[in-house]
Amino acid sequence: KCPDPKPRITASNNFIVRCARRQMGFQSRNMDRRLTHSRFCPVQTIRLPNDDLFFTCAKFMPGDKNIVVGDFSGEVRLFNMNTGNVESMFQAHDSYIMHMEPNWKGDLLLTSTTWGRPLSALWSMKDYDMKFPLENEDYVEFSKVSQDKILGTEGEAATIFDVATGLRIQNLVPTISNQYTKNMATFSPNDELVLSDGVLFDVASGKPIHKLDKLNQTQSGVFHPNRFEIVSNTEVWDLRTFHLLKTVPALNQCTPLFSPLNNVIYALKMEQETDEDTMFDSSFKTIDAVDYSNIATIDVKRNIHDLVVNKFDTLIAVVENQGMYHSVKESVVRLYDVGRRRDDEDDLEEEDEEDDMGS
Amino acid sequence: MKAMANHYVVTAHKPTSVTACVTGNFTSPTDLNLIVAKNSRLEIYLVTPEGLRPLKDIGLYGKIAVMKLFRPEHEKKDLLFLVTLRYDAMILECISDGDNLEILTKAHGNVADCIGKPSDTGILAVIDPKARVIGLRLYDGLFKIIPLDKENCELKASSIRMDELLVHDVEFLHGCTNPTIILIHQDVNGRHVKTHEISLRDKEFVKTPWKQDNVETEASMIIPVPSPLCGAIIIGQESILYHDGVTSIAVAPPVIKQSTITCYAKVDRSGLRYLLGDMAGHLYMLFLDVESRGDGGDVVRDLKVELLGEISIPECITYLDNGVLYIGSRLGDSQLVKLNSKADDTGSYVNLMESFTNLAPITDMCVVDLERQGQGQLVTCSGAFKEGSLRIIRNGIGIQEHASIDLPGIKGMWALNIASGGKFDNTIVLSFVGQTRILSLNGEEVEETDIAGFTSDQQTFFCGNVVHEQIVQITPSSARLISAKTKNLLAEWKPPNDKNISVVACNMEQIVMSTGSELYYIEIHPDELILKGTTTLEVEVACLDISPLGEGITRTDWVAVGLWTDISARILRLPQLEEVAKDNLGGEIIPRSVLMTTFENNNYLLCALGDGSMFYFILNIESGSLTEKKKVTLGTQPTVLRAFRSLNSTNVFACSDRPTVIYSSNHKLVFSNVNMKEVNHMCSLNAEAYPDSLALATDSSVTIGTIDEIQKLHIRTVPLQESPRRIAYQEQSQSFGVLSVRMDIQDATGCNPSRASASTMAQSVTVPSSVGTLTSGKSGASGLIAAAEYGQEVEVHSLLIIDQNTFEVLHAYQLMQQEYAMSLISCRLGEETYYVVGTAMLNPEESEPKQGRLLMFQLADNKLTLVSDKEIKGSCYSLAEFNGKLLASINSTVRLFEWTAEKELRLECSHFNNIISLYLKTKGDFILVGDLMRSMTLLQYKTMEGSFEEIARDYNPNWMTSIEILDDEVFLGAENNFNLFVCQKDSAAPTDDERSQMQVVGQIHVGDMINVFRHGSLVMQNLGETSTPTSGCVLFGTVGGAIGLVSQISADFYDFLYELQNKLSVVIKSVGKIEHSHWRSFHTDIKTEPCEGFIDGDLIESFLDLSIDKMKEVANGLQITGEGGMKQECTVDDLVKMVEDLTRIH
Repeated sequence: KCPDPKPRITASNNFIVRCARRQMGFQSRNMDRRLTHSRFCPVQTIRLPNDDLFFTCAKFMPGDKNIVVGDFSGEVRLFNMNTGNVESMFQAHDSYIMHMEPNWKGDLLLTSTTWGRPLSALWSMKDYDMKFPLENEDYVEFSKVSQDKILGTEGEAATIFDVATGLRIQNLVPTISNQYTKNMATFSPNDELVLSDGVLFDVASGKPIHKLDKLNQTQSGVFHPNRFEIVSNTEVWDLRTFHLLKTVPALNQCTPLFSPLNNVIYALKMEQETDEDTMFDSSFKTIDAVDYSNIATIDVKRNIHDLVVNKFDTLIAVVENQGMYHSVKESVVRLYDVGRRRDDEDDLEEEDEEDDMGS
Repeated sequence: MKAMANHYVVTAHKPTSVTACVTGNFTSPTDLNLIVAKNSRLEIYLVTPEGLRPLKDIGLYGKIAVMKLFRPEHEKKDLLFLVTLRYDAMILECISDGDNLEILTKAHGNVADCIGKPSDTGILAVIDPKARVIGLRLYDGLFKIIPLDKENCELKASSIRMDELLVHDVEFLHGCTNPTIILIHQDVNGRHVKTHEISLRDKEFVKTPWKQDNVETEASMIIPVPSPLCGAIIIGQESILYHDGVTSIAVAPPVIKQSTITCYAKVDRSGLRYLLGDMAGHLYMLFLDVESRGDGGDVVRDLKVELLGEISIPECITYLDNGVLYIGSRLGDSQLVKLNSKADDTGSYVNLMESFTNLAPITDMCVVDLERQGQGQLVTCSGAFKEGSLRIIRNGIGIQEHASIDLPGIKGMWALNIASGGKFDNTIVLSFVGQTRILSLNGEEVEETDIAGFTSDQQTFFCGNVVHEQIVQITPSSARLISAKTKNLLAEWKPPNDKNISVVACNMEQIVMSTGSELYYIEIHPDELILKGTTTLEVEVACLDISPLGEGITRTDWVAVGLWTDISARILRLPQLEEVAKDNLGGEIIPRSVLMTTFENNNYLLCALGDGSMFYFILNIESGSLTEKKKVTLGTQPTVLRAFRSLNSTNVFACSDRPTVIYSSNHKLVFSNVNMKEVNHMCSLNAEAYPDSLALATDSSVTIGTIDEIQKLHIRTVPLQESPRRIAYQEQSQSFGVLSVRMDIQDATGCNPSRASASTMAQSVTVPSSVGTLTSGKSGASGLIAAAEYGQEVEVHSLLIIDQNTFEVLHAYQLMQQEYAMSLISCRLGEETYYVVGTAMLNPEESEPKQGRLLMFQLADNKLTLVSDKEIKGSCYSLAEFNGKLLASINSTVRLFEWTAEKELRLECSHFNNIISLYLKTKGDFILVGDLMRSMTLLQYKTMEGSFEEIARDYNPNWMTSIEILDDEVFLGAENNFNLFVCQKDSAAPTDDERSQMQVVGQIHVGDMINVFRHGSLVMQNLGETSTPTSGCVLFGTVGGAIGLVSQISADFYDFLYELQNKLSVVIKSVGKIEHSHWRSFHTDIKTEPCEGFIDGDLIESFLDLSIDKMKEVANGLQITGEGGMKQECTVDDLVKMVEDLTRIH
């Protein structure tokens, strides 16, 4: 066989070549996206001085001004991202806040904790009143098209609640499930399907449609925003045929977070429970959401408890901790600009105490 | 106070880059048409033996992604199918009603899905050869079909799931019982060819008739072969494969390896011959060699490829007829070429017939006033690769002056051919108050002379060659007939009662003249003038015309008359002089000049008034009736209309304080100003020394000159044959600096230019002394000097210095290997002026350069000297002169350098808050930075602290392609989804937070990528009063070759135009039935928001194309602010004047 010809117009790896080509009308946005998502520059550190708080999770609030941060003691704080100051706070639970989700208007917030009752709750962000508790749900999320429903997870069972009344609308309980240790039920992007514990339900009929093969112990999986695929641990399933499309080793034990634009997956390893303690990874990965190729691995040298992206995919927040909640050394929420190189600030004084970022 | 944030955006030069072309019978079953897509425009031509005749030019509300002609079964003509980049699909039919062509939208619809990933290989659309179904590949993994079986005005697509995700090309196969597609797709193992049969009933793929795995890894194009052969040809980088499901034949002709084949055209119906075009501009013929199968059918035996010659780098090719092809180009001029049966001396079979100017892609430009006439010219970096060029663009029509004579007080001027024996004019008759002078032209010599039969002690009203080798001279007292051979008086006619003649008009055979209100009609016969008719009008005659209408016609049945006191224009029939049409012009301004003329087979009556305005009508040559009255303002003084011929078309010269040439384009009158300050009289002159010229009289002199090719924007091309990237003008040295890139090929002797181009043909060339690299130990410099592979293309970057007058390349300074020229300015630092070049070192392994240089050149005494060479840590994307210092954006940073007395660049301060700082613009202490992904940021330089402060930022994720500062508060940006937006900084906001956020106050979709903004204007500034206050002007250049402008307008005027725009968007039915608001909405991958803060000038200007009824419909209910600030009803005339004034800003 003859050697294969080399493609002549390749999207060059080096930006300056693409920059010249773009002016002639040859676009190469994929490569630009890979460039921007290979580097992150810390821009703000949120912490409370004189306090041995231990942050556990965070979310950007709508309006681009505030970030909401949950901590180990069940408190929820709203920080101003520019100043790093606390704007308000309230006690949501009695322990470790594991997950939060504001709605698009920013007037409601879902919270989940690890123990104590209620396990989850819906809050009004105007007066921090609990709208209603979701006693036994260990994970909750809003529906994705209109946010008028809440999907709760209790073990292998998923339940749909009405946002306005808190009433139970539908129970989705699989007859045979995959018994994942950390099932988190999730709506498909069009809200027509729910994936819970490896079983795909049709919301309209409430019937299970398909059970995916169990190829890992912990997680059930999430829908790809392209609506054709389900990413479940390292497996990528074709939603239309239920064929296995791809195996992505880089996603092993990772929670894939799809950026709201730019087709990028932020992959963060879930905590690993060992004999003595839980282990957290100190790096996250960026993966091309189109072909699942690796873009970069970013090491922050501290335990990452959570990672979130703002709506423009221009800023990420990472909950970075040193030590554990019972022996806090440092706990911060650090904001990073997406796409900025850190080492460009060559002739500026070293910024306080950040460590080098790998890429 | 809120700054002005209302803007007007308009196209000054329509896009010229050709993205698609098709041939077929569109306008009628017998017309052969060429249809060309240029961005959002469609041009329809008729193919005639004389060449292409433009029939219609249509603006669409969308950028055309795919265009196909198809013929439904049992139809006699073709229909046009289009899909826009925003997924609006349409089927168009052309209905011709006499000369009027109407484009009917037979069906339309948006075929977008809210889900799905748009394919990287773009929008593919194909039509079944039997016109049963349209196939679309818009998103990965989905194939959409639109069945064409029944008449349906809504185009609705159904989706079929397709296992093949990455599809490079798709086509329909011929000769299949059911519609069957063939595609090239790619997976981890390579590229494969596959077919799918479609069931139209089930809307599904039902079977795969055949497939071929593992075709060439770069196979990218399918040519379906028509019946009876059927099958398909797969074009790869090095090989060509024919496959019909049973047999396959592959060839690897060495000749095609040079470049990548990108387009094809079928030559004959049987599908045995195809033309192929590649990225390097080669044209090939592909032949299918067939042999008999024995059963009466043929089978393909071999494929042969032959190089025919060189063409413009093609984007698309279509075969017209008789060996003539149209080459559509995106990167260079498009062409009409003829294929010869025999090769010429150079071995080429290609003969260029016509070339069509294309400015695309405009990568940079500058505005200069080289002639110091107060009118800007634009010099663009246009085209790419071998089509690279500079284009000098000037508004209006240029007169090239060849001779000038000082002669004040001219009242009239005519060119004559007296006893020369040839066809050239040899005499100019000049009329003054109370006298007439005759100039004889002898070669370039001009001398005053006398002619026996002429009277010279009176003013001449008319003089000209007429039938039977005679000359007519008309003075206030008489009409004289003179022999052109003997120069003797043959006859003389005087009005009865010795009244003075006041106004005359004459053609080759006929004269009309008036003495006040009496009108006389005289015919010219051998040796005599015969009175044939007379009449008395109710008021005095102000102007007359008797021009014959039509090609080669020398007499007419019509007289046009303009009258004094009743201010009317009338048409009288000869010989009785009875009135057949009358139009009361209205107002109080007297008509000064009337003219009947034919433009593009339409007959017009033009009537110019004493205030510089002009009415024009359609003149019916059968009945003499006047219809479709329109008014235009040409100047401010009485205007004289004169017809002349230029390049085989009729034109009219309007002599006034704002000389204008009137001509017709696309069946619409165009008024183009001439680059002269004032012209009182003119005549055509075709003398031996001055062929095809014009004589133009001003208050003080006569100028003989030639006129540029008629077009509104005059474009001159300076070919460089390599890609220009940046341009800067240096007034001091009267030169342009240009950064350009050529392709060298690595061969046995090293890197050699692939062809001669500007940087190799310069008067002096500087090549880097060593194969120098910036080898500093720490960075991986090894990648930089890795020798290029044999046969590989290597980019070589140079700074060219070009003379501003001759456009000769004086110097070429070649950069080092792998060094990219990124930015260029001319600036004054200290006491000297420099060209500064910012560069980057390319290491293909790195995602971003780590090194680069700032090079400072001085041009003095025709010597180019490198004064300073400073290493920088990255690529210098942009440069600016800033407070006597040098500002550079280097990778993510913005840095300010001081130019020290020791002639060194010293870093003063830096700013770091961007991803890649691509663009810089400055004003006073302010710096606007445009980022790769993070929109725009405003910085302020603090002189005292010597540092930058970030003042405000737009937090939207806009991927920028160009930026500009409009004023201290308002900033203009263009981004890579083809939108334009305006941000405003709010210094008065109460909190720091609010002050630091720029507000988006305007946004519009322009449908083309803007590469460059420049302050400046293409028109003469401050020309009299205007009804349309606009302030400031920013020009922009696009990838599609369009030039546009953005101007600020007042809030009141914005509100008025907004209302006008809304009314127009209702009255003007768009082709394809796309809503105007949809087209102009700001659209990106993540959001679609209504257009705001911008008026669409292209829509506003289309008001002038409307019929009077439609104009009335638009004007109805519109209110303008009249004198004294009172609101009043807006008339059609008010609107016409306003919109015409708006068209004058470009």
